[in-house]
Amino acid sequence: MSIHISIMLAFFLAVISSSKGLHKEFEQEAIPHMDILYNYALRMTGNADDARDLLQETFLKAYRFWDKYEKGTNVRAWLFRIMKNTYINLYRKAVKEPDTVDYNDIQNFYNVIRENSTDANDLQEKLFGHLLDDDVTKALESLPEEFRTVVILCDIEGLTYEEIAEFVECPVGTVRSRLHRGRKLLYAKLFEYAKKRGFVGKD
Amino acid sequence: MIDEYFSTEDVAVDCREFLELISEAVDDRLRSDLKHQFIHHASICLPCRNEYEVDQITKSVVRTTVRRKEVPSELYYAVLADVKKRQSFRGKWLEVIFGEAFLNPAIALVALVVVAVGGVSLLQRENAVPISADKNIIAQSLNNYSATMAGVLKPTMVSHDPGDVKEYLAKETPFEVDVAALSGCDWCGGVLSSFDGVKLAHVVYKIGGEGLLYVYQVDINEALHGTRISLPENAKASLAKTGWYFEQTHDKCNVVLWRHKNTLCAAVSMIEREKMVALLSEKAPW
Repeated sequence: MSIHISIMLAFFLAVISSSKGLHKEFEQEAIPHMDILYNYALRMTGNADDARDLLQETFLKAYRFWDKYEKGTNVRAWLFRIMKNTYINLYRKAVKEPDTVDYNDIQNFYNVIRENSTDANDLQEKLFGHLLDDDVTKALESLPEEFRTVVILCDIEGLTYEEIAEFVECPVGTVRSRLHRGRKLLYAKLFEYAKKRGFVGKD
Repeated sequence: MIDEYFSTEDVAVDCREFLELISEAVDDRLRSDLKHQFIHHASICLPCRNEYEVDQITKSVVRTTVRRKEVPSELYYAVLADVKKRQSFRGKWLEVIFGEAFLNPAIALVALVVVAVGGVSLLQRENAVPISADKNIIAQSLNNYSATMAGVLKPTMVSHDPGDVKEYLAKETPFEVDVAALSGCDWCGGVLSSFDGVKLAHVVYKIGGEGLLYVYQVDINEALHGTRISLPENAKASLAKTGWYFEQTHDKCNVVLWRHKNTLCAAVSMIEREKMVALLSEKAPW
């Protein structure tokens, strides 16, 4: 009888301690990445309330599936994928079709104004020097998800192409071309904002 | 020599290749041999140069305009509390036991007995207040503060009159509970618990316009000389010398410790350090 009790106790303790160990591990490995996930959530949703929900939901899911996380692999990328999927599930319906942008218009316009400027830095200051954080956030928000994600991860979070590729599970070449297209789209949006704010001449 | 120089021209990039290299160039990760060819092409092909500059300007605008934000502390604690809540209420061990239960009736029986025995002993040890495994009083206070913020740790008694809360807590505690009328306090609440058999009192104040102030209270002898809970040596030294101890965590949570008769109090809040000290010093003896 006493053997049975010891076995029960051992089993109970083993289960309890493994749960405590997992919890500690989660706190040490996953929690430190909250900052980057929060910023990504902010840029994806465009507002603090939704970012908050998205962050909480992501960490709850990550905790629930912590035993599925392969030790030694990139935990940041793993958490990120959970957030991205959660975002898509929560906001799929809200995602609207991107406005069509005529690249030629952007190019033509750029060609004209570029001729009157001595260099590109000068031009940037003239065109976008007065834009606010909010304008850029809104412009980013209007990009289709696949472009938005790579631009956020590269230009705001400063990740390498290799890391971004791991995050979004695609080849480095795809990251490269999405960045190019994403930046071009974003340029068009930023230009619209600059125009609305009256910083750019209408002609 | 001349041949070497011209070999760059031989493999010069065309417009299509140039476009493919734009992102790498903007992010300054072009291979050095390609860099020369890239620059050369940009200097002779205006449309390509402009295409490159559009990307470059965009990146630069994003980098200089968008500010990264820190996770707000209350959100940080809410996430921690979410996870803790999940651990304590739907802990993995329950899932494991009940998961196995359907597979193996023998384990089910064992598990049920264990749960019954374990449950009773756990109930004897603690109330519904989440407890930290850490003996450290400061760690426990921070943990309880986050639980309070997330609504996991709830006062069992709330009143506008601190006297009510004091009376309620005093019935059960062997030490003198410190509940005071703090200026700007909308209401305060109290709850009792025990950690490893040590009685604890928890007081929460809602300070209008400032947020919550949580105070952990325990017998001073247990705190200073006991083995079931502990205080860092520097905190003990500071308490002995000045009667109080102050600490700020990385996420801007302020912890203030002081002694009230035979009670050690540990207050935790996001309220600014100066305001918190001003609030508490109306009553604390420093």
